[in-house]
Amino acid sequence: MGRARIRLALLATLAAPSFAFAHHSTSMFEAEKRVTVTGAVKDFQWTNPHAWIQVVVTGADGKAVDWSFECGSPNTLSRQGWKPSTLKTGDPITVIANPMKDGTNAGLMYTVTLADGRVLGPGAPTQPAASAR
Amino acid sequence: MSHATKAVRNLAVAASLAACAAAAAAQPLPKAADLPDWSGAWTRSTGQFYESTADQALAAPPPLDSPRRHPPYTPKFEQIYQDNLRRIAADRFPDPISICGTPAGWPRLLALPDAYEFAIRPEQTWILTENGPNTIRIYTDGRTHPAPEDLWATYTGNSVGRWENGELVFDTVGLKGVGSTILARTGLIMSDELKTTTRIRLLEPNRLLVTVVLTDREALTRPWPVAFTYARLPAGSTVYDYACAENNRNPVTSDGRTLTLDPSGQIIDKLE
Repeated sequence: MGRARIRLALLATLAAPSFAFAHHSTSMFEAEKRVTVTGAVKDFQWTNPHAWIQVVVTGADGKAVDWSFECGSPNTLSRQGWKPSTLKTGDPITVIANPMKDGTNAGLMYTVTLADGRVLGPGAPTQPAASAR
Repeated sequence: MSHATKAVRNLAVAASLAACAAAAAAQPLPKAADLPDWSGAWTRSTGQFYESTADQALAAPPPLDSPRRHPPYTPKFEQIYQDNLRRIAADRFPDPISICGTPAGWPRLLALPDAYEFAIRPEQTWILTENGPNTIRIYTDGRTHPAPEDLWATYTGNSVGRWENGELVFDTVGLKGVGSTILARTGLIMSDELKTTTRIRLLEPNRLLVTVVLTDREALTRPWPVAFTYARLPAGSTVYDYACAENNRNPVTSDGRTLTLDPSGQIIDKLE
């Protein structure tokens, strides 16, 4: 992977709130902003009530920084193409997320772009049967 | 409210419930083969807790400042609601389900993410929510609500009803109110005097319509209708376990603030 990078993308004009229904308040996240973070998967917690992606980002100064990304539940994620095996330690990924308001290195995942180019969403809403769309 | 007024209201509610119970008791049980097909897994496709009739169920949600989003609260509950709005603005509005210990309850369970199942038999229906999980049991075997002295407040209350031409109609009483449950994180609450009348039917083969009329003599000045629709998931969809406490990295403080933890359990928020 090339040098990992953090790109703060303040996509206010595009950023309709993307919050999936969390089991808790999402007031700690910036609904109107999105941050783009590229790094390597450190851990993928396929757990309830939320899956989490831990990403290691190596800055220009060579220092590694951990980011935490909150996702939907495994149930909703699985209905949108996610599997427990989707992410493996060391996989290069790019995450777009609503960042924490206080600047902490964490966010609410909006999309993840995998090394093969696939883009997976946050796990909500679930897609209904075709005849009910 | 005077004791006399309260007594009259109690009598009116009792008479209404007795009439419903009588209707339920008079209704013969349908044959299982005559019940509609609500099998499979479902997901909510429209609706939240804003005023809505069956005719409005599929329409776009009202704007955030629409009066349809503001229940007709009594002065006492308007004050509680306004206080809730202030707490939300300050990020100090605790949601009981965030502690991973209590269910969403009725009727909030109608507005959850993830999958739903509607299991129906002539004598009973179960609504099962993947998120939570939550279960509400609706008895259609002709029984009536328990006598007031035998009824205590629970998260899903006591529901009895009947089938009317493929539509499930039921009344729910004995619900927990403000202090134990909320309707939505938008600050909406009801009291433990809440009673609901719910109708569920298929709008089309893969879409269910649920309408609920909320009546609450402590919280509301008039009945307040809400509506939801649910879309059937593709055949073969699986409904999964949901264990909120499995890896809850968002504990809530006693003053209602939601925190975020790192994988080792350390708080990563920058606390003031």
